[in-house]
Amino acid sequence: MAEQSTVIGRGDGKLRSLARTAYPLVWIGPAIALIAVVVLWPVVVMFRTSFQHISPDGFVLGRAGWKNYTDLFHEPDLRGVLIRTAVWVVVVVAVTMLLSVALAQLFNERFPGRRVARWALIAPWAASVMMTSLVFRWALDANNGVVNVFLHDLGVLKSFNSNQADWLGRPVSALVWMMVVAVFVSVPFSTYALLAGLQAIGEDVYEAARVDGASRWRAYRSITLPLLRPAFLVAALINIINVFNSFPIIWEMTRGGPGYTTSTTTTFMFQLKQSYIGESAVMSVLNFGLVILLVLLFLRATRWKDQVD
Amino acid sequence: MKRGLAAVVTLSAAAALALSACGSSKNSVSSDGSTTLKLVAADYGTGPDNSSQKYWQGIADAFHAANPKITVKVQSINWNDFDNQVQTMVQNHQYPDITEGDYFANYAQEGLLYKASDVLSNPQNLLPVFAKLGSYQNEQYGMPFTTSSRALFYNKKLFAQAGISSAPQTWNDIQTDAAKLKGLGKIGFGLPLGSEEAQAESLLWMLGNNSNYQDGNGNWTIDSTQNVAAFQFLKQLVGAGDTEPNPGTKNRTDLWKQFAQGQIGMINGSPALIPIIGQGKVLTDADWTSVPIAGQSGPLQTTLGVCDFAAAFKNGGTSKQAAIKSFLDFAYQDKYQLQFDKEYDLLPATTSAADALASDPTFGPFLQALPKAVQYPNSPAWANVKAQIQHTIGTAVTDDPKKVLGAIQQTAQKSS
Repeated sequence: MAEQSTVIGRGDGKLRSLARTAYPLVWIGPAIALIAVVVLWPVVVMFRTSFQHISPDGFVLGRAGWKNYTDLFHEPDLRGVLIRTAVWVVVVVAVTMLLSVALAQLFNERFPGRRVARWALIAPWAASVMMTSLVFRWALDANNGVVNVFLHDLGVLKSFNSNQADWLGRPVSALVWMMVVAVFVSVPFSTYALLAGLQAIGEDVYEAARVDGASRWRAYRSITLPLLRPAFLVAALINIINVFNSFPIIWEMTRGGPGYTTSTTTTFMFQLKQSYIGESAVMSVLNFGLVILLVLLFLRATRWKDQVD
Repeated sequence: MKRGLAAVVTLSAAAALALSACGSSKNSVSSDGSTTLKLVAADYGTGPDNSSQKYWQGIADAFHAANPKITVKVQSINWNDFDNQVQTMVQNHQYPDITEGDYFANYAQEGLLYKASDVLSNPQNLLPVFAKLGSYQNEQYGMPFTTSSRALFYNKKLFAQAGISSAPQTWNDIQTDAAKLKGLGKIGFGLPLGSEEAQAESLLWMLGNNSNYQDGNGNWTIDSTQNVAAFQFLKQLVGAGDTEPNPGTKNRTDLWKQFAQGQIGMINGSPALIPIIGQGKVLTDADWTSVPIAGQSGPLQTTLGVCDFAAAFKNGGTSKQAAIKSFLDFAYQDKYQLQFDKEYDLLPATTSAADALASDPTFGPFLQALPKAVQYPNSPAWANVKAQIQHTIGTAVTDDPKKVLGAIQQTAQKSS
């Protein structure tokens, strides 16, 4: 009898502990389901599509094996697109972070009109990226764009409708201007992230440093920068992902043209999709891998775990 | 950048996808017998006042008044995005019921379309000139809705200022005249090789050198020696600064507007340029004229005839087909054809409407030229080829023409 009751008791306990471990699932279940449906499932479909032979009208004609992959790697434009994407991400993120550090420190100081200035910085963030890109595109119009009118008045620009005035027609200058727009829309977020980081550094730390006789420059190097590091890393990482995936700026300003000379992997993927769905899926797989690789490299290089955890 | 926002957007996009997936059930004929048709049309307008949304909505409203059980939902898309968006709908198997704009033979090849005779009571009334272009394996699927032909427009005022007395007829004329116009600080020749309609501008130059995308037997000849020579001519024209800078990035509509502003001396255009000139209010009727397109050694005897088609997708059962048929019969009435042509200065696509306009002083000559007009290739590969032409042919005037045209030729042969 006694033995039997312990067995029942033990079983009871097992069930209870199972219920206890399963209990959080009730709360996180919907989130898991959401992630499975909107994140994991598309990834599965993406990989599957990359191995399918699909007609331009969206009909699956059978398996393609690695053919989509070899086709993509034989695209003559792929090399340039990959190099351009690397330059695009590195330059935009680096310039954004540098500007944001400076701006965040400015906004952390007291000065008249600080509130207005802080609000004003939200504008490029709040405006639609597509709209911002269109505004820049027309401002750079070779015939009567406001940038060209200004440069013409200054005497820098000799004549409208010239090659010099056609900023978005030349691949290099088009890319530079698109980088300007990308920085413009990325700076607000990074600045606010860094500003929050700066505000989290207590005044007492600086006071202690002053008492110990540290100069302002020394305090900046030894207190501000190290303590700002976590905020900086988070902001930089989110920027890397966003800039890598950036589509509307390039699409609205040049559509990746002339040819594919201002395309990044993201816009190139979209251009391929028009006729070659399978190849486009491979480009998508490649993008997926690249962004994961970028993030891992970044985490490793910055010893993320020691810094942020 | 916008992480929070991006998350929200992603979520709502996913939700929208899920919702639209439910909404696009194959048959939108509901139990009470009412039907909803989705019409996707290219926008021929130059602004909100004359957008094609308005034109089609007018027809849809009149049709609904006569047939209360059928509702037509109109969506208009600008020309720059039309092909891409319709193609995306097709690729996702979310077919519109009717499209009006470009028609592609590959949709017919896939069996996605109704034959013209299935959805039109009187298909014989469609202009026979374009019947072949709208056909696949001797069955007509694309129903001509509007047509146009191309001519060389030039600014007579600028020509007089530059001391040019005669209309340009040859490539040489184009070159020398453009150089003189450039001296006035204007753009000599407007060359739209950007993605909007590069396939039309390119073909006009190919025709000028007695070549085409295909030969008479339907073999691709995109990188023929004549075509390469045509682009070599363009390359040095661009290099000499006689065109706008970087033609590979410039679109037709933008350049037409610049012509209307008096900034461009010469440009290849269609009658649709005429209302843009009118709206610009810079050029009077006496300031411009149009002549046959200039060729290598003389003006073209035949021009490019462009036809935009209506197409009906198999998207539901027979009751849906009946609804499409009654709507198309309604929309193809002469009065709507003529309204369209007056609105956009384009040409009709039905015999009865063409007869009504035959003696019109503006439209008459264009209509007479139509039967001789050269047309785009009729091939299921054309959709692919055209997409690549639009993306890359503009680089032929900066890069090596032989290489660029050769790459397009390869695509054409591979997709055929």
